[in-house]
Amino acid sequence: MGETNEKAVQNTQEGNWDDYIKAYYEKPASFKSWSGYDLAEIYTPEHRPDENYKQNIADAGTYPYTRGIHSNMFRGRLWTKREVVGIGSPADTHERLKYLSQHGGSGLNTIADVTYEMGLDADHPWAVDEVGLTGVNITSIKDMETLTKDIPLDKVSWSLITASTASSVTMAQYVAVAQDAGYDIGILRGSIQNDPIHFRYCGFRPACPLDLSIKLGSDVMEYCTKNLPKWYYTTVNMYDLREQGVTAPQEVAFGFGIAMCYIDELIRRGLDIDEFAPRFTFYVSCHMDIFEEVAKIRAARRMWARLMKEKYGAKDPRSMQFRFAVHTAGCSLVPQQPFNNMIRIAYEALAAVLGGVQSLHCCSYDEPMCLPTEKAHLQALRTQQILAYETGVTNVADPLGGSYYVESLTDKIEEETLKVMKEVEDVGGMEEAIRTEWLDRQFESEAVKRQKELDKGEKLVVGVNVFTTEQEKTTPLGVQKVSSNSAKQQVAEVKELKRTRDINRLNDAVKRLRDDANDSKNVIPAMIEATRASGTTGELLGTVREVFGYPYDPMETIESPFNF
Amino acid sequence: MVMKKRIKVLVTKVGLDGHDRGAKVVSSLLKEAGMEVIYLGMFQRPESIVKAAIDEDVDVIGLSYLSGEHLIFTPKIVDEMKKNNFDDVLLIAGGTFPAEDIPTMEEMGIDKVFRAGSLTKSIVDYIKDHVEE
Repeated sequence: MGETNEKAVQNTQEGNWDDYIKAYYEKPASFKSWSGYDLAEIYTPEHRPDENYKQNIADAGTYPYTRGIHSNMFRGRLWTKREVVGIGSPADTHERLKYLSQHGGSGLNTIADVTYEMGLDADHPWAVDEVGLTGVNITSIKDMETLTKDIPLDKVSWSLITASTASSVTMAQYVAVAQDAGYDIGILRGSIQNDPIHFRYCGFRPACPLDLSIKLGSDVMEYCTKNLPKWYYTTVNMYDLREQGVTAPQEVAFGFGIAMCYIDELIRRGLDIDEFAPRFTFYVSCHMDIFEEVAKIRAARRMWARLMKEKYGAKDPRSMQFRFAVHTAGCSLVPQQPFNNMIRIAYEALAAVLGGVQSLHCCSYDEPMCLPTEKAHLQALRTQQILAYETGVTNVADPLGGSYYVESLTDKIEEETLKVMKEVEDVGGMEEAIRTEWLDRQFESEAVKRQKELDKGEKLVVGVNVFTTEQEKTTPLGVQKVSSNSAKQQVAEVKELKRTRDINRLNDAVKRLRDDANDSKNVIPAMIEATRASGTTGELLGTVREVFGYPYDPMETIESPFNF
Repeated sequence: MVMKKRIKVLVTKVGLDGHDRGAKVVSSLLKEAGMEVIYLGMFQRPESIVKAAIDEDVDVIGLSYLSGEHLIFTPKIVDEMKKNNFDDVLLIAGGTFPAEDIPTMEEMGIDKVFRAGSLTKSIVDYIKDHVEE
């Protein structure tokens, strides 16, 4: 018998023919949406007896914007293809930005690493091991200069992902660099995440005490309202909340709750809702249930419009338009059979686009393993490009609108979101829900539920609890390493800067920052000046923290270098 | 009757990594599986982890890594365990790692690595099989 025949016999013996035959007759195991709602076999006009198109749905570009914020949606402009970048030093990150710009990216998007988000300088004892591992650390104005080198800041749209209280420093560093390069900051386009409240739930609690989060988050918003009219100065991050394991309605309800904390503060400061609400944006997750995610986005748009109009009395239509970026769900990706992640990401991106997204980040397939390699990053961008240029999804606004199913599911998500918002109200509102750790308990119990669904096979994930195979020995497109030399060099440069800067100028600038914080003034102008005087991220934030009665250093390891 | 000793597990994160969903979920589910769990939380250093492990006399240390810091901190933790003659406990790690790093982590002294997407049973069974009761 030849070798081929031997192999064939072996295959037959090893083939799982019983399961194979069973699979032919297989029915889906569950008829629930991802968030757990029972679904009908088919949706018909009977599910929509009280349909009021003009009031509840309406054409895209028309209140309550259920179908999209622009009448022609992608015919007017494609969504921004904005892949998140952050690796190693500011120079390494700059290189990756350039690479993506050469391959068809259309929006810059840089993410802070854990050290920067925590408000630590690169030379902080807790930071030195971790600089650049998960993003980029900007300690001084020099780092921001390196990151932005040769990029036409007056023409590009830049999304700065710093979410914690450090976003105040990021904004100051960006404005200082732009002004120093001769740009009129009034024309800068882009966004800053600036949602320190949500970041408490991403492990950055020491950097995000609630009062300081509201203070500094709102300072950025107020400053930009007056000085950067084209800038989107908060991206309320519902995505990160969803990543904690919550359902689609909880994602929206908790996100809106946090947004209202900032809105209430800005109104308290005397701003009119229509002065600032048009610059609010959201970061939304797209998970694996395509229709539920589209319904969630549609419901969120309708609810935001009504919230702005009815609760806050907004009159400018732009205040009522729910603008959002999507980050495909990182937590839906697994390291088992990693190429499958590309397929998951493509479906999630499809949901985002069917939902009418303004800006999209597709995860790279290697998200559950390492930072994206160049090839993986490019593949994520290509996923967006195939969607934009090959599939025809850009032709028609809100293509799923009017589907009996999607309209019913949109109503269902709205109804469930309102229930969660009522729960938050019942515990005393979002600030109280945060203070009493009610919100923490929601996240924790939902996360455990999600794991149990996997353990029991109630939710199936290929490679995890169905169609499993042996663990791969290698990562298909290689592994992204972060150069330890980059980090060492950045730490050395920061030390050198601190040794050689003009101390008198620095002291004066930091004094002014401290005084402004003490006098309850907006601290961003003083931060810009302190940044120019080579004040660092840790120094600026630490100074404001002390005024608010918190330790200079969130890790409580180092002391303030200023004694005046 | 002599009560069977419950397996005692220390679950912790090290450094600045803030992704604590997994560590908390694993802590809850190990408790449900009958183990005693001490969740040390975020922002630990190798020294504080080993000190807590000794003070609590745990059978297992579970490290959660999701920010690419596993190759930096694992040797430091293992060294600290050796320095304190506390290296005969089970050391496991969970989180996001490239496949290529798993043999390296095992060489560094991790007994077993659980990647994201691991089912609870695999973790519980491993611990029960490897802790002498």
